[in-house]
Amino acid sequence: MAETRALARSDMTLLDMRGISKSYPGVQALQDADFSVRRGEIHGLVGKNGAGKSTLMGVLMGIRAADSGTIAIEGETLHHASPQIMIDAGISYVPQHINLLNTLTVAENILVGNLPKNRFGLVDWQAVNDDSQARLSRLGLKLDVRQPVEGLSVAERTMLAIAKALFNDARLIILDEPTAALSRVDIDLLFGFVRAQQEQGVAFIYISHHLEEVFEICDRVTVMRDGQIVGTRAISEINVADLIHMMVGGGVKEYGRESAAGHEVVFEVQDLSRRGAYEHVSFVLRRGEVIGISGLQGSGADELAQGLFGLERMGVGEVTIAGEVYRPGSPKSAFEAGVAYLPQDRHRYGLVQLRSVRENVTYSVLDRLVGRLGVLMRQDEQAITEEYIDKLGIVTPGPEQRTLLLSGGNQQKVVFAKLAATQPAVLILHEPSQGVDVQAKVDIFNIINDLSRQGVAIMIISSEVRELIGLCDRILVMYEGRITNEFSRAADDMLPEDILLAIEGGPGDADA
Amino acid sequence: MKRAEPNRLVSLMVDNLIWLFVLGAFIAFSLLSDRFLSPYNLGNILLRSAAFGMLVLSQAYTFITGNFDLSVESSLGLTAMFAALMLVTSEAGGLGWQLNPLLVILLMLVLGGLIGLFNGVLITKVGVNNLLVTIAMLFVLRGATYGISPGTSISFFPKEFTWLGGGTLARVVTDNGNFVLSVAGIFVILAFLVGHIHTRYTQFGRNMYAVGADADAARAAGINVDRVVIIVYIIAGVCAAFAGLLQAGRLNAATPTMGANLIFAVHGAAIIGGMSIYGGRGNIIGAFGGVLLWSILDTGLNIMGVSPFWIDVSRGLLLLFAVLLDALRVRYQHSAQMRLALAETTVGLHDREQSSG
Repeated sequence: MAETRALARSDMTLLDMRGISKSYPGVQALQDADFSVRRGEIHGLVGKNGAGKSTLMGVLMGIRAADSGTIAIEGETLHHASPQIMIDAGISYVPQHINLLNTLTVAENILVGNLPKNRFGLVDWQAVNDDSQARLSRLGLKLDVRQPVEGLSVAERTMLAIAKALFNDARLIILDEPTAALSRVDIDLLFGFVRAQQEQGVAFIYISHHLEEVFEICDRVTVMRDGQIVGTRAISEINVADLIHMMVGGGVKEYGRESAAGHEVVFEVQDLSRRGAYEHVSFVLRRGEVIGISGLQGSGADELAQGLFGLERMGVGEVTIAGEVYRPGSPKSAFEAGVAYLPQDRHRYGLVQLRSVRENVTYSVLDRLVGRLGVLMRQDEQAITEEYIDKLGIVTPGPEQRTLLLSGGNQQKVVFAKLAATQPAVLILHEPSQGVDVQAKVDIFNIINDLSRQGVAIMIISSEVRELIGLCDRILVMYEGRITNEFSRAADDMLPEDILLAIEGGPGDADA
Repeated sequence: MKRAEPNRLVSLMVDNLIWLFVLGAFIAFSLLSDRFLSPYNLGNILLRSAAFGMLVLSQAYTFITGNFDLSVESSLGLTAMFAALMLVTSEAGGLGWQLNPLLVILLMLVLGGLIGLFNGVLITKVGVNNLLVTIAMLFVLRGATYGISPGTSISFFPKEFTWLGGGTLARVVTDNGNFVLSVAGIFVILAFLVGHIHTRYTQFGRNMYAVGADADAARAAGINVDRVVIIVYIIAGVCAAFAGLLQAGRLNAATPTMGANLIFAVHGAAIIGGMSIYGGRGNIIGAFGGVLLWSILDTGLNIMGVSPFWIDVSRGLLLLFAVLLDALRVRYQHSAQMRLALAETTVGLHDREQSSG
């Protein structure tokens, strides 16, 4: 044990990739990239979408063949690369969406393909359970091995996937956005486990958009941009601003916008409560105003968004739009009342991925496009689509491209186009910048800004406090179902530290 | 880490619901009709549904891997008809070959296996959708059955052939009638037992579950997914051939319509028995429970003189009920997970859970 500890702390290079280049027709995906990972370190890999992270990792996993360059593991150069060679070399990948056998038990997942047998050649279930339990205990992972994987939390599944990699003698594990679906408690659990394995000399490559987490767990961080390695830094020698600067290239200012808030109240929520979700929620939203609502998972912010759009029961209380009573029974009635909603999970709710940009943009306004004899006016449809492709800067070969083939940021713009086409009075945005790269974020903020100037009242439910500060006229903080704090640009009190403290349930003035 | 565990007893009951149903149906019919519990009837329950049982077994195999095979009902018809043609004299409508019954049985099992192989290869290697392949084969094989048949039913088989489907192992004489221990009944029980051991206690069987749970993950674990699926289709084909032989043997006749329109009842029984067409769930013993329940319901309602139409209605309702229960089970598990997630994220809830538990 003492020996492995010593090795873990050494600076010995585990992985050394040198001069890796890879081009696709018309695109230089990787250019002369050098990337190295030390034994027992957690190495962050960050960069905008399309910066080359996936290509580099694909080369490392043997899925993509590099045009040139070398890969050496513990000083030994690998002359060929294939997925099997890389796995044999101890490199393992844990994807964001964990691939496990969900209906089967933890034990069977660990030993799948190689179950212990008794002397009759039949599966010895006692041994399966004991063996897998013992293996997990050695890694310090407490799971009931008889439980089906579908009963595990996402964090537990991630840890199980890491454990499985370790059982296959992995020395370097690539974690791809492991915390995307995790609560803070789960993140701590996962990080604790990852650090424990690091102590044993296992190295990790940590790919994430969440820079705070990179600072929390990584020893070093490498930044990629436009297919090149911008640089590698020890985490102690860099701060968030510098890291973002390396990712984006040119200087990036925090987004700032002029308020377009009018006086006329468009949307008013009075004393709205739904059991188990939120209590006594009251606020007003004026024409052209942008407000942010932020809270932890379970604070009621998510539920409020869904309730106000008719995805869930709205509960008891009064809500009015332009003075008229608003009680959506379904998303359709919410739409008809002038409320549009950008869902958090655009892949599931926001887009029909297999259909074209045109169909996605226009399907919520088709009733306006029906001509004589009930036939759709294709030209109008085309015109609307092209107008929004142009206005929102959607990068697509054309209106007929399937949205599936667009980048995350462009998909999100298509959802915005769909919503804007309905000409809503109130727009509810649920985590609008999730899973899109830095440049697309700026585009999306510009769209939000434009819409507010057109008079749309906008409500953003988001956990990205810094983005909310740049975008919103006011920020409401929810905690345990209630609005506990209000910060506003007018009062000049939108300080990130204060807002984050309020979100965590710190001392707040509930009457604000 | 503390875990808000779903009640173990509830889980156990939910997982074995089929046996509660079987028991319930058995008790209910025993109370409703004095003839239901008669030795003759009890002996008959399994005999009558032997062929049906083999089809359910075939689908239990395909279901575990997340597949299905609609064509097995036609395989039943084709193997029964083909066997009949090879067995009987030309006067009785056969080909006049009068082959050795054992040879005929073997040939039909091989035929069933070949049909399965064909289905499996098309689905895995060529990549055709399993619904389309097996629907196509459903028509092809049924049409072929009509094509080779003399247009009427064929009967008068040799005793060696009918023993499997219609033979008797033992007969217990009571005042109330005779209890007959049929070869077919015992055969089906043995087949399910072998199936259970195969799927639960062999590497191949567990690979089947892995393929059904997540084919990509199974592939990543080094399992040859295509091979597993092809073999499963072969097994399903052999089961269907057994079903044909059992049916022809019991009736001592083969008609071109044998097995027609049976497939959805077969799927119904398997699903009530806890199998899922999405794969990776359920077990062979549960599927056997499905066969028993289907058969008890059939016999019971028959004895009570309920019209066949209403028997169909009751089957349909039973299936709906089973699917409903499954949906509730999924929702129950989901809400248990949600509660867990809440307990982990909301500080207050978590503390309360710990202090109370």
